[in-house]
Amino acid sequence: MTHVRGIRGIRGTRDVRGALSARPTRRPAGDARATPWHSLHAEWIKIRTMRSTLFVVLGTPAFCAGLAALNGSSAGTDYADMSAADQATFDPLAISLRGYLLVQIALGLLGGLVITSEYGARTIVPTLTSVPHRVRVLASKAVVLVGVALPVGILVSLVGFLVGQAALSGAGAPHLALSDGAALRGIFGGGVYLALAGLFGLALGTIIRSTTATVTTLFGVMLIVQAFAPALPGGLGDWVSKYWPPIAGGQIITAVQDPELLSPGAGLGVMAGCVLVLMAAAFVVFRKRDA
Amino acid sequence: MIEVRGLTKRYGEVLAVDDLTFAVRPGEVTGFLEPNGAGKSTTLRMILGLDAPSSGTATVGGMPFTAHPAPLRAVGALLDPGAVLSSRTAFHHLLALAAGNGIPRSRVDETLTEVGLEKVARRRAGTYSLGMRQRLGIAAALLGRPPVLVFDEPLNGLDPEGIVWIRSLMRNMAAEGRAVLMSSHLMSEMELTADHLIVIGRGKLIADTTMKDFIEAHSEREVLVRSPQTQALRRLLSEATGVRAEDHDTLVVTGLETVRIGGLAAAAGVELHELSPRQVSLERAFMDLTKDAVEYHAGEETSR
Repeated sequence: MTHVRGIRGIRGTRDVRGALSARPTRRPAGDARATPWHSLHAEWIKIRTMRSTLFVVLGTPAFCAGLAALNGSSAGTDYADMSAADQATFDPLAISLRGYLLVQIALGLLGGLVITSEYGARTIVPTLTSVPHRVRVLASKAVVLVGVALPVGILVSLVGFLVGQAALSGAGAPHLALSDGAALRGIFGGGVYLALAGLFGLALGTIIRSTTATVTTLFGVMLIVQAFAPALPGGLGDWVSKYWPPIAGGQIITAVQDPELLSPGAGLGVMAGCVLVLMAAAFVVFRKRDA
Repeated sequence: MIEVRGLTKRYGEVLAVDDLTFAVRPGEVTGFLEPNGAGKSTTLRMILGLDAPSSGTATVGGMPFTAHPAPLRAVGALLDPGAVLSSRTAFHHLLALAAGNGIPRSRVDETLTEVGLEKVARRRAGTYSLGMRQRLGIAAALLGRPPVLVFDEPLNGLDPEGIVWIRSLMRNMAAEGRAVLMSSHLMSEMELTADHLIVIGRGKLIADTTMKDFIEAHSEREVLVRSPQTQALRRLLSEATGVRAEDHDTLVVTGLETVRIGGLAAAAGVELHELSPRQVSLERAFMDLTKDAVEYHAGEETSR
């Protein structure tokens, strides 16, 4: 490396003297005023050159396909031995879309990294000296994140659905076709939920700033609470199971309603409301705080 | 042109920046010196809108930095050379910054060539040496060809060749009519680069002066005289403000010019082997100037 630096150094000196003094103060071509569109473009370049984005885009559909195949065939095989009551609540949609539980962490983490990587690497300084309009910066990050997370979320759900239903059908259990009403709601709604999970991560990351703390919080909020809700005392446990945003939002992938819980639409609404509040807080904090 | 008026930043009890007022003029390299403490960087961060001042204002080209329609075309800044995502290539790092101000891709390639990184631009920045990261940071500052440049400790950790490169870069930028502000905690870094000096200590302005005036005011000139007849020579130098022996055949004289000493010696027939003017180092003068403001002295309690 040292010898490379040495060679470049000599070239660099000559280049700077020659090239810069040849064109003293000519302005670069292009519009003089920076617009929100420019900021969006900048954030798009950043998110597509983050390694995590590639991992999420390639990894999560493969993961969901695998999980749906396993869940579908095992649940399908169990179906014949189930009681009549269990058969009545057998939910082929939810079985095939269960992979969202982990994909929400992946997308939440991607959303978090969009901002925590800037604090971690201190690139927040060049970012804000390029675009000091902070609302514009965070809004651009949110838009490009949704631009990645929504298609990935829909793709992941679609892949899970198709593979899962094929596995159920192969095992001779009830299964759905894309033309069934609940199917498209589950797939697109699931995609929307996953995009919201990404924004949830972005809001948390903006407020927390540390990648590690954001990951920990995401796991806690999205998985641990869900796992421990039944262990919470009576009223609190019921409330959490019904209204805790990630649990409520997760109802969007169910085709068979549990009367104790929110409907898919209302549940997704609770999640969206929660993300809205967190994003609002993130905007306030990001705008006010020293970078 | 950067104008700072009454700029103050308070962190709880501590005043990191205390009522600073100064200007950074075009066509000059202004050295911004502080022996230690956080006042320099905090001031630069407030000029760039990264930190909000507790009171006072900072403007660039007559308006707050954040009000500029295309900030990279108004001010180029290098605050932290490590500020790049290690998995991203230098090219994409600059491309994203340029895109935010609508600066075309061709300018990114051009800037990479200007700083000598064109051959390694597609390598991940994590593989870069400190010197290469510094060049990348400079490239980011030059992207918009701004009339104002701000560099925080640009020479830190650089090899001698890198130091020469950045110095000549800053001199060239000032020669082209740009305003260049460069911070440092070492006077020796300023001697060869700065035209104007702003010195702060404990966040307060201590000196705002041209380099030339600072040198004249703070560096006493001495003359070194070597002669086999130091006793006879001493008697001749009664006009001097100070004469001390540095060696058995060497005197150090203050308050007399070489011409006068040589003339006196010749008139008295005293043999001289050496007669040379010497400057007290600016580093020494800087330390004297700021010693009251230094928060932590070596070998002392850290109380004020």
